[in-house]
Amino acid sequence: MTIDIVAFIAEIFRMATPLVFAAMAALICRQAGMFNMGIEGMILCSALSAATFAHLFQSVWMGLLGAILMGLLTGLVIAFVSITGKADLYLTCIAFNLAATGGTVFAMYMMTGEKATTSNAFKSFQIPNIDIPVIKDIPVLGRIVSGQSLLTWMALLSVFLMWLLLKRTRLGLRIRAVGENPHAAESVGISVPKVGYISFSICGIMSGLSGAFLSMSWVTYFMRNMANGRGYIGLSAQNMANGEPIGSAIAGVFFGFCQALSITMKNQTKFPTEFLEMIPYAATIIALGLTGMLTIRKRRKVESGQAAGKEK
Amino acid sequence: MSKTQRIEATMEVVRTLVALLIAYGLALVILFAISDDPVYIVQQFILGPLSSPRRIGSVINLAIPFTLCGLAMCFMYAVNRFNLVPEGIFMLSACTATYAALQIGNNVPAVVIIPALFLVGILTGVVIAFIPAIMERKFNANVVVVSLMLNSIVVFLANAILRFLMRDTSISYPASYELPLNAQLPKILSPFNIQAGLIIAVFCVIAVSVLFYKTSFGWKMRLVGENPRFAEAVGLSSVGISFAAQLIGGGMAGIAGTTELLSNYTRFRWTISTQHGFDGLLVAVLAKKNPALVPVGALFLAYIRIGADVVNSTGDIPPEFITVIQGIIILLIAAETFMSGTKNKLIFKAAEKNEKEKQTAQSAA
Amino acid sequence: MADEVLRMQNITKIYSNGFIANKDVTLAVQKNEIHGLVGENGAGKTTLMKILFGMELPNEGQILINGKEEKIANPLDAISKGVGMVHQHFMLLPSLTVAENVTLGVEPIKNGFYDFDKAVADTQAIADKYNFKIDARAKVRDLSVGQMQKVEILKALIKGAKILIMDEPTAVLTPQETEELFEQLFVLRDDGVSIIFISHKLEEVMHICSRVTVLRHGQCMGSHDTKDLTQASLSKLMVGRDVVLKIEKEDPTLGQPVVSIKNLIKINAIGKNVIDDVSFDIHAGEVVGIAGVEGNGQTELAEVLSGLGIFASGEVLLNGESIKDKSVRQIRDMGMAYIAEDRMVEGVAGNMSIKMNIMADRFTKKSFQKGPFMDAKKINQMVDQYIKDFEIACDSPDEPVRMLSGGNIQKVVVAREFTSGANFLLACQPTRGIDVGTAEMIRKTIVKKAREEKVGCLLISADLNEVLECSDRLLVMRKGKITAAFPKANEVSEETLGEYMLGVRDMTGEEMEALL
Repeated sequence: MTIDIVAFIAEIFRMATPLVFAAMAALICRQAGMFNMGIEGMILCSALSAATFAHLFQSVWMGLLGAILMGLLTGLVIAFVSITGKADLYLTCIAFNLAATGGTVFAMYMMTGEKATTSNAFKSFQIPNIDIPVIKDIPVLGRIVSGQSLLTWMALLSVFLMWLLLKRTRLGLRIRAVGENPHAAESVGISVPKVGYISFSICGIMSGLSGAFLSMSWVTYFMRNMANGRGYIGLSAQNMANGEPIGSAIAGVFFGFCQALSITMKNQTKFPTEFLEMIPYAATIIALGLTGMLTIRKRRKVESGQAAGKEK
Repeated sequence: MSKTQRIEATMEVVRTLVALLIAYGLALVILFAISDDPVYIVQQFILGPLSSPRRIGSVINLAIPFTLCGLAMCFMYAVNRFNLVPEGIFMLSACTATYAALQIGNNVPAVVIIPALFLVGILTGVVIAFIPAIMERKFNANVVVVSLMLNSIVVFLANAILRFLMRDTSISYPASYELPLNAQLPKILSPFNIQAGLIIAVFCVIAVSVLFYKTSFGWKMRLVGENPRFAEAVGLSSVGISFAAQLIGGGMAGIAGTTELLSNYTRFRWTISTQHGFDGLLVAVLAKKNPALVPVGALFLAYIRIGADVVNSTGDIPPEFITVIQGIIILLIAAETFMSGTKNKLIFKAAEKNEKEKQTAQSAA
Repeated sequence: MADEVLRMQNITKIYSNGFIANKDVTLAVQKNEIHGLVGENGAGKTTLMKILFGMELPNEGQILINGKEEKIANPLDAISKGVGMVHQHFMLLPSLTVAENVTLGVEPIKNGFYDFDKAVADTQAIADKYNFKIDARAKVRDLSVGQMQKVEILKALIKGAKILIMDEPTAVLTPQETEELFEQLFVLRDDGVSIIFISHKLEEVMHICSRVTVLRHGQCMGSHDTKDLTQASLSKLMVGRDVVLKIEKEDPTLGQPVVSIKNLIKINAIGKNVIDDVSFDIHAGEVVGIAGVEGNGQTELAEVLSGLGIFASGEVLLNGESIKDKSVRQIRDMGMAYIAEDRMVEGVAGNMSIKMNIMADRFTKKSFQKGPFMDAKKINQMVDQYIKDFEIACDSPDEPVRMLSGGNIQKVVVAREFTSGANFLLACQPTRGIDVGTAEMIRKTIVKKAREEKVGCLLISADLNEVLECSDRLLVMRKGKITAAFPKANEVSEETLGEYMLGVRDMTGEEMEALL
């Protein structure tokens, strides 16, 4: 029983890609003051849309476009119900995820006559992997860095773009303003609903990319419920980093590590798979608990006066 | 009741009915659009569930777990916690009850074994519901995310218990050994073939309704759910009460899972999540957190589900489309602005009329 | 009439709960004018201004700006038409800088990115023009209340406001800060800005406004030149009868200390001492008032005493027993009753019935249980009695509280807190935003409870009239400390009080010693 460490590290980045996108999707909504659980369903719909568009137009890029459009559309649906319809966001998202789970299977069945995967009916398309000329020949680094999906690199880029958006642009300032105090933002003429819709749109694009990775890179077909909690994991990742892009991405990579660990051990050890499958979910719960505990402990410490001495 | 209050109450009912009608209409449109023989299929969808005593029986049988899960979600919803563990508990409690039944064996009379198994189911529910609740209380962890993650874990746990502790290898698909006969609940009302769980469901609806509206714990829960800060200020422990409510909700979901297994199955053979928890959420939303209305919501849901099943067996329509319809119903009811224009117009008119009456009364004086 | 910049004609607004906030109201404002908009709390001033600022839509009526009819659907419309509003509760983002707050909505852009340096320069330029002393790079959370208000005014000015709405701007200011604000308003007026000054402080209105429009119960009582009015005649227009501000009461006979606070310290989440070494006693039979600009530790003090908030060190004894680590339930059982500052947050559950709200603090007691159930008959009798005693105007005890008017909601709160049998009454802003009649009833009952039932009362209020008239002893709180103490509240002048509230003067420990 030997584990190929290099392959394992490459697997971490592969598994982390959809989670980082999901974390970015979650954090833009959180910065605007909304806890969007609907990302789970948005990713699922996008993944199906990616496979369908790619098959229909026989083009991987149309698949990517299809995923992004579906992400946008579903994001706007949730925005419409929760912002314009003034529905409770939790309830909206739970209902939307429910509809997405059944809806994707229903749509898949109507298109292909199958209920499990599109692998038989649809042609496979894969987002190209990027081989980096010189680096690919370096022994260890080459196998990790080179040959990763284009979307993995885009995930990295999206973290930087998200940081730039939030900290250096007018839109970012407005999103943060709406998140901190919607009444204040409204009072200077910022349309809170509009900022909400924009945040949901950006969230939709990120969810779309996450979904596209799942059905066109992780595997090359759609299968039922393939998001499998990734949206919720993305939410937990941004939660751990208080909505900061870089911290959220690191947390996303951590959860990628957990998933890679689960998969690698399933393939290479005889440990019961049921327990290995639990790892990513258990890690999420533990991480949520730990971050919560640290925040609370810090606040308690300050409030009970232990930090007062340091302040002075 | 004041005029405004009466308008609000009436509009709530009307809104729910309209939401159901729209969703039901949408289901019909979908069926009509995708079916080769639309008239027949739609007819089957509407009348199928009521076409024979057996089918009416299956609507009622299906409404039983929906009712019990709806009650479970009422507890979560009443204290405003979307603790979604009933979904996982439904499966796991059935699993642990089976394991317990197999351990106890057939030597114990039904009057002992059945309550014992329910106790196991309830305990399972309480233990699982405890996790997100304590995580929120101690670490401020988001209860929705934790409960969803936990649901995934619980499915694997149930699978592991099935595979390692009670798998009957003599059958080809994963299933446990057969339940002892004494542990199986009988069928009642023979033409309809209704499960004895009906009695349990009716009892639970009454008990929970009384708990909500006639006892001090019910008052506490509702106060905490409406305004936790206020509840604190008058000396109620918001955290403690919402904690207790979630545990009771978990226990109720345990009853639901155990009832379903003991009434309808001879072996435990679920390997994926059953969606009953989410169905329970829909029922609780339809019933507006009022336990007395839960059976109504459950019957409606069971009716369209059986309709979908009938259509699936006679036509070529996958029953998954019902989950879409279900989602849309929740969205419509949750959206406050849905039909709020009509409501405001009515209230405005009533206020204007009131004002006029006052003026005429004044000028007369 | 040529110089009329704003006319709001026959405005009617009915809220979705059926409450008529404005009925057929007309308001006209001239150029270079400070126009007073006066009325009691709840008379519809704020609603009218929300309509002008696009935050509410009127059901009927029209708005003319510079003689042209305009539809104002949202704040953006209002701003583009030259309307600016300084809200009563500041609309600021504490974690952002002054410049970011001021330019929010009109952000300077360079190469597609937010130009922070230009934002700072622009803010500083306009602040200098009107002689506002403020650091554009400072974080808003580090500013004083007076400075925050300047940020609010700058926010309106940078967007080119020609009509500036000031919603009760002096409510949170000390007398000295108020004077400074008035100077700045005069400068703005002379520069061509029309100001709508909302207030219920008559002397301020008479001092700075040339014309005044009066609202009473949502209806317009006409517009008048202030030179034709006296405070007395204006007050008659507002309330329709002469307000009795004096509360007759004899000197208290002090009993045992009910509450005794020693060296209390509370530290907030960012490590600041929000209550800083506070000590004083409250005796049976007296009303102790706490005056102070809001945000100087009063709210936190109420949180600690009610058991809702924790404290770092010190001691609080209630009837001789420490409240440290006690739950709210235990503290209430020890004899505390609490009228919360914000009634919709801590005073009632809006969706719940009047019955449940009145019973909320006591329904768990044995005496209201009958076996495992609630004793419905006993509860109904009790609630009916309280509804009668406190004259709560409602259709039935099962009506949700949110459907009542503010005054009636507060009656529900006091029906509960005045009858709980406590001997320590903690009353925070007990009459904020409610009608005069109810306010008078509540104030009189507080004094009566102290005198007749020997309850120790702590009255925390931003309403100077209220603390001065109801209290026996008066304390001033600033920056988390008690900075002044007066033996007889009704002998203190508002001017003196203001100086202590602002910190121009502090009393020494020795001066206050006998009074704490």
